[in-house]
Amino acid sequence: MSDFAQVLSAAVMLIGALLVVVAMIGTVRFPDVFCRAHSLGKGLTLGLMVMLFGLWLDPETNVSGLKIVAAIFFQFVTLPVASHLLARIAYEKNLPRYRKPAGPA
Amino acid sequence: MTDHLLTAALVLLLAAMLLGFYRMARGPSVVDRILAFDAVVLCAVGLTALLSRWWQSELYVELILIISSLGFFGTVAFVFFLQRSLPVRGSSIGPEEDDHE
Repeated sequence: MSDFAQVLSAAVMLIGALLVVVAMIGTVRFPDVFCRAHSLGKGLTLGLMVMLFGLWLDPETNVSGLKIVAAIFFQFVTLPVASHLLARIAYEKNLPRYRKPAGPA
Repeated sequence: MTDHLLTAALVLLLAAMLLGFYRMARGPSVVDRILAFDAVVLCAVGLTALLSRWWQSELYVELILIISSLGFFGTVAFVFFLQRSLPVRGSSIGPEEDDHE
């Protein structure tokens, strides 16, 4: 039983790491600041929350309940705020935006 | 089984961190670099959670809180600094740079 919980926790952490990698690929591949802030604000929030939840699931680690809940909640609060601040200053300073290239009509 | 899963997660997180460093080296604007720095810090938070799971020690949760709050306040400080000092692109005051890739 405990063995199953350990494998489950490791699998959930692997899923979180996959989400983080997807968010970082978006950060590299997207064309302008707004798209990158979008990718960071959604993908990394979900990825880190899933990883911390996987840490919580592990029976051997014995994380005390309130602390890990505080960590998850902190990610949930701060990451979208940081992403929104970055997109807002990029908008205020009129940084270059992605326009759809004029293709063959 | 558990070790294989955790090793795969470790490799993925290190690759994510490398992608963040790539974007930090080659962001066309300052905001891109700050964003990439924030992303690298958050990858470090994920690595800390992973190591806490690996060594099965609960002491690292406080480290997670500290690192993530440091990254967040660093980003906020950078943004408030840039809000005053970064010139508006296209205005007559600031330098005209069109580095849209």
